[in-house]
Amino acid sequence: MDKPRHQFLERTIYSREELCGDYFILWIWDEALGEKCQPGQFFEIRAHYSIADAEETRSLPKLFKPISIYDNAEGRIGFFIKKVGTGTNALYKLKAGDLLELIGPLGNGFPFVTGRRILLVSGGIGYPPLWYLQKELIKHNLLYWVHGGSGQNDVFPCDEIWTEDGSFGKKGMVTEGIRKLIAEKKIDLIYSCGPIPMLKECAGITNKLNIEHYCSLEAYMACGIGVCYGCAIPVGYENDWNYLRVCKEGPVFNAGEVLWNKF
Amino acid sequence: MEQILNPLQTSLGRLKMNSPVTVASGTFALENLDFIVQEHLGAYVCKTITRYPKKGNPPPRLYETEAGLLNSIGLQNPGLDKFIAEDLPILRKTLTVPLIVSFSGASLNEFEQMLECLENQEGISGYELNVSCPNVENEGITFGIDPDVVYKLCALLSPLTNRELIVKLTPNVTDIGVITKAAEDGGATAISLINTIWGMAIDYRNGMSMLKKGIGGYSGIGIKPLALALTYRAAQAVKIPVIAMGEFITGRMLWNSFGLEHL
Repeated sequence: MDKPRHQFLERTIYSREELCGDYFILWIWDEALGEKCQPGQFFEIRAHYSIADAEETRSLPKLFKPISIYDNAEGRIGFFIKKVGTGTNALYKLKAGDLLELIGPLGNGFPFVTGRRILLVSGGIGYPPLWYLQKELIKHNLLYWVHGGSGQNDVFPCDEIWTEDGSFGKKGMVTEGIRKLIAEKKIDLIYSCGPIPMLKECAGITNKLNIEHYCSLEAYMACGIGVCYGCAIPVGYENDWNYLRVCKEGPVFNAGEVLWNKF
Repeated sequence: MEQILNPLQTSLGRLKMNSPVTVASGTFALENLDFIVQEHLGAYVCKTITRYPKKGNPPPRLYETEAGLLNSIGLQNPGLDKFIAEDLPILRKTLTVPLIVSFSGASLNEFEQMLECLENQEGISGYELNVSCPNVENEGITFGIDPDVVYKLCALLSPLTNRELIVKLTPNVTDIGVITKAAEDGGATAISLINTIWGMAIDYRNGMSMLKKGIGGYSGIGIKPLALALTYRAAQAVKIPVIAMGEFITGRMLWNSFGLEHL
């Protein structure tokens, strides 16, 4: 049989960082794995204990969670995670030295470009994949990064920050400033990641201005490898479209092809 | 290689199986073979196919509850013609264990047409009839909840094939024994159960269902006792083999389902 395309891995957590609000970072170190990763790709990860003690404690085994790659410095791979539910809570409790279960890297990353004027747009937990992306792009392109969050606990280092409650940076939605930035900075390409309403708004603007735009989508996932069709989103044109899998055909899509009104 | 006596070897009708463990339709595809040894499976059941391509349900399609998973995929599949032209040759090439094709029709006639098409194809050891879909000839009422319809369907299809004819039953019925008996009387060679039970989760923040379609199929650890009870009832009602469906993660979980011949 062909070489396996997917591998189930167990790696020791090398260090853990606590950030503001509900955010934290788990680091693993695997040089061979690092070479396979591209910005925009993700791993399915799970806290080892959540399944290992299922039999004894009757605690419930949970699905793997799709987490995008935040950083990859020659094998020092980071997962920047927000605590939102039971799966991510189990990850939150992990310490350095604990085992992390992984499948990946999965999905297709962002297309790599050179000599472009790029705007990065992120919202909330959409920040991490763009961090890894900008590290790769910054030597070859002009970048400007704008990030939005609900409040001061949802903002991270970048060029411009917006918060809904005005507690940090500019007050309002991050998408409010995009039109002006595109004109001012002569932007010809946008990469975005964040909640669906933000991506939809952003895609509406780039579609009108006819600007190339790639977005990374988030979806509830079960398998992460293209089997269950649980993470599908509508992609194509009004009369010719299909549900494509975020895990397999995505998570990065051309924003102009995603049918935002069918969500 | 010398043939080693395999204590797990079993049979399903005329089908010789390496082990009593098969996979549940729709949860397992060739991608999963990266993670397990194929020969440990008794058979491979493909994702349900329909006569014509199906786009599936709008997202979100998945939600993981405290005790199991809700899904509303909506049988997304490429349709029978594409399955025969593209998927089947790959399955034939890759599989070393028997292939069971799961399919579903919108009417008795469509089931018959599909079976006739599949009968002309080599490399198929059996069929699994997915009767958890609406019957367009009968006011859209699910096939699998009406014993008369189940009997008619099996009686229609069983004379047309010498391959195994497994009927996958829905648990959303009043008396599983009656339906199981109807399938046996109609000529089914085995029963598999249970398909998912109806389920729903509500987002407390807005009072909306976590699934776009509202109600989905519920599977997982939370319904294991129910699945076991229904399987027990079904096995008591008939003489043909009954295949139990459910998750097991450890050997003990598997033994907890003892007395059930195929899983």
